[in-house]
Amino acid sequence: MFRLQGSKVLAVDMTGDAVKAKNGSMVAYDGQMAFKKLSGGGEGIRGMVTRRLTGEQMTVMEVKGHGTCWFADRASEINLVSLQGDKLYVESSNLLATDTGLRTGTTFTGLRGASQGNGLFTTTVEGHGQAAITSDGPAVVLRVSAQYPLTVDPGAYIAHQGNVRQSLQSGVTFRTLLGEGGGEAFQMRFEGDGLVYVQPSERNTIAGDV
Amino acid sequence: MSGYGVPGGPVVHDPMTLPVDDNVNKYTFCVELKGSEWFLQKGKMIAYYGSMEFNGIGHGRLDRLVRTSFHSPLHASDWVVAQGSGKMLLADRAFDVNSYDLDDGNLTIRSGNLLAFQPSLALKQSIVPGFLTLIGTGKFVAASNGPVVFMEPPIRVDPQALVGWADCPSPCHHYDHGYMTGVMGGLRAMTGLGGASGEEHQFEFVGAGTVLLQSTEILMAEQATGAVPQQAGVPGAGGVPGQHGQQTGAPRLPGQLGDLQRRFGL
Repeated sequence: MFRLQGSKVLAVDMTGDAVKAKNGSMVAYDGQMAFKKLSGGGEGIRGMVTRRLTGEQMTVMEVKGHGTCWFADRASEINLVSLQGDKLYVESSNLLATDTGLRTGTTFTGLRGASQGNGLFTTTVEGHGQAAITSDGPAVVLRVSAQYPLTVDPGAYIAHQGNVRQSLQSGVTFRTLLGEGGGEAFQMRFEGDGLVYVQPSERNTIAGDV
Repeated sequence: MSGYGVPGGPVVHDPMTLPVDDNVNKYTFCVELKGSEWFLQKGKMIAYYGSMEFNGIGHGRLDRLVRTSFHSPLHASDWVVAQGSGKMLLADRAFDVNSYDLDDGNLTIRSGNLLAFQPSLALKQSIVPGFLTLIGTGKFVAASNGPVVFMEPPIRVDPQALVGWADCPSPCHHYDHGYMTGVMGGLRAMTGLGGASGEEHQFEFVGAGTVLLQSTEILMAEQATGAVPQQAGVPGAGGVPGQHGQQTGAPRLPGQLGDLQRRFGL
């Protein structure tokens, strides 16, 4: 059971089950806990190789036991996401913890990832359960639906879930080359049905400079 | 309606529930455009619904708009104009953001703190270097490190905590002379030995108006305001009486503020 204690600490109550969490993110626990490092994100040999190849490395540990365990990561804000069989796409650096009922994997994102400076691949989480994602400042959750497509700055995007198509929009014109661009040369457009998580801060991206 | 988002979970926003020209949370501000325009600092838009266009200020179609509400020519490459209809979210490095209404007034603000403003306001460079002045009626959005508090002059404030001031005359420097004069005072100020409190220098405000302070002394990254005309008598221009319009000191290095290169974003 995931719950937030304040906005920057995640508390997980466990009764013999296990959660996967970012390596080294435990700040405190009570009861009996065992921490085991999972190589390759706990996705087996195949996952390990894929993660190594795609650059979506994440060092993950498995926490198992009875009691409460608290997690935090560099005082960044934590957002809880509950999944009912749908898929969450998140940058591996923003994924803090996942439930037992969730599987993680990697997927190809194409140009979008490149414009974001995070590589061409992203991490997926699917199944039934809860996941915790971190953001710089509390994330704003925006709904994407058929009548309301959404456009997001790649530097502020952290995750999305549901049945959403994403495409890269480019506003690069000859003005950009003259240095008179709109400052929003690359944007991610989301269409379909789902949720997008956006943080109130922008990572440095190549897109942010043009 | 989509099935995502559970009751009791995080608040999910869509264009219907997003506020109009108001804060979504302490760090995010929502602007509604209905065929109207807003000036914003480059790269502060984080997401939008609807259809919008972001154009650099050098864009030909915007000439008229820029002429009436943008008087900081060499600073233009850092600003864009958003046009269209929909709702747009603004944020800045997870700092607190707030909107302020000016009613036929004037407000001077540290350049790095200003995020966006309505074109009904005119933006001008302040003669205090590093500050911008907004004049007119309209709304603007500013960021601060921690919530902003409003104070009334006469007041002396710490330079790092100052965000801006409205309606009152520009501040002057105030030195704590009792503590800083004499040989011992000079040594203290220079070396910190013998107990410099770090508060020997303040900005002093007098007159009627409001002073805006942020609640930390961590400055936000300064945003270039562009160079001022190189003339004698212009503060910050390096003009020396008798040497009209001549630059003093070292020749200008590439990359220095206000260069042609800045203008072209290099």
